[in-house]
Amino acid sequence: LVIRLPRSLKVLGLQACPGSWGWVPSGRCARDPLCFRCVSSQRNMITTENGIGTLGISNFAQEALGDVYCSLPEVGTKLNKQDEFGALESVKAASELYSPLSGEVTEINETLGENPGLVNKSCYEVGWLIKMTLSNPSELDELMSEEAYERYIKSTEE
Amino acid sequence: MRQPAVRLVRLGRVPYAELLGLQDRWLRRLQAEPGTEAPSGTEAGALLLCEPAGPVYTAGLRGGLTPEETARLRALGAEVRVTGRGGLATFHGPGQLLCHPVLDLRRLGLRLRMHVAALEACAVRLCELQGLQGARARSPPYTGVWLDDRKICAIGVRCGRHITSHGLALNCSTDLTWFEHIVPCGLVGTGVTSLSKELQRHVTVDEVMPPFLVAFKEIYKCTLISEDSPN
Repeated sequence: LVIRLPRSLKVLGLQACPGSWGWVPSGRCARDPLCFRCVSSQRNMITTENGIGTLGISNFAQEALGDVYCSLPEVGTKLNKQDEFGALESVKAASELYSPLSGEVTEINETLGENPGLVNKSCYEVGWLIKMTLSNPSELDELMSEEAYERYIKSTEE
Repeated sequence: MRQPAVRLVRLGRVPYAELLGLQDRWLRRLQAEPGTEAPSGTEAGALLLCEPAGPVYTAGLRGGLTPEETARLRALGAEVRVTGRGGLATFHGPGQLLCHPVLDLRRLGLRLRMHVAALEACAVRLCELQGLQGARARSPPYTGVWLDDRKICAIGVRCGRHITSHGLALNCSTDLTWFEHIVPCGLVGTGVTSLSKELQRHVTVDEVMPPFLVAFKEIYKCTLISEDSPN
C-alpha cells in the first residue's frame, strides 16, 4: 500500500548510527507501546556541541500497530520534549507522536512516502522517522536502556 | 472490582459541528487530568452519541478528498470537513448513529487496537440484537463492519496522550445515495448498506440506541452514567 502524504507532511526516520542509544516512552502511561529508539551519534561530544538524534519506533510498537502510515513535521521545526510532532495511523486509528527530546528537526525520511512499509520492515535501520539536533542533551540521561525497555514492555503485558 | 464508569452524553439530532465542539471540550478536560491511576468512581471518559442533523462529508488525517471533490460535494448542499481521525473519506447524516467515545485508554486498560476492535464488536453486537446475522469486522484496510461486501458501519479514531476521539458511524436509516458521490474510505468497488436496507423496514437511530448502549457496556466492561445535559 502506498500512501500519498499531503505536502505539509514529511517522514522522519531512524538511522542506525554508531554511538550509545536508549529507549524512551513517548507517553506517560506504562501501557503505551509507542516507544522510541533514539540513537545519538555524538553523545560523547555533548559538552562541546549538540548531538544528532535519530528517532523511530520500536519493534514492539511496529508489531503492535501493524501496517502504519506516518505524518511528520517540517524540517526546521523546533520541538520541546513531549511536544506533539506527528502521527502514526494504523487500523483507521491515528495516534499522535510526542517528541522524547528537545531540539530541531534536521531531516525526515522521505523514502517512507513511497514505501511506508519500511517502518514495519526495518524500524531500526532504514525505516527511521526523523533526525533532530538535541538542544538539551541531558535529556538523553532520561532514556531507558534496552534492558529497562524490555522490562517495561513485559510489565505492560500483564 | 468496580467497573470503570463512562459518562453517557446523548445529544440527539444536532449539527456535526456541535458534536465536534463537545468532543474538544471533553478532550481538553481528560488530557488535563494527571496520572494513570484514577481513584475509583472517577469517570474514564465520555460516550458522545448523536444523529447528524444535516449531510456532512469528512476526510481523515491522510486526507481522502481532493479540492475538486470538496467543491463538488459542497455544491450538493453538504458540509465538508477535515478531521484528525484515521481513515479516508466518509459521509455522516440523518439516519446515522454517530458514536464518539472520548476515553482515557489507561483507565480502561485498553490498547488502541483493542479500542478499534471493541468499536467494531459494538456494531456487530448491535446488528445481532436487531436480528441481523452475518455482520462482521474485517482486517485492514477494510476496518469497519460489513455484511458481505457492503459496509454498514465505518470506523475512524484519533488518539493523543491515551485519550481517544472520533469513533464509529452506523447506518440505521441513512439515505445511502449520499455515499455515491465519494469512494467511501477510499475502497473502490465496495458498497454501503444500512439496518433499514438489510431488515427491509424503517429502523431509526432512536430505536437502536438502547441495544447499542447494552452492547457498549458489555464490550467495554463499564457502567454508563447519565447526565441531563452536557457539561
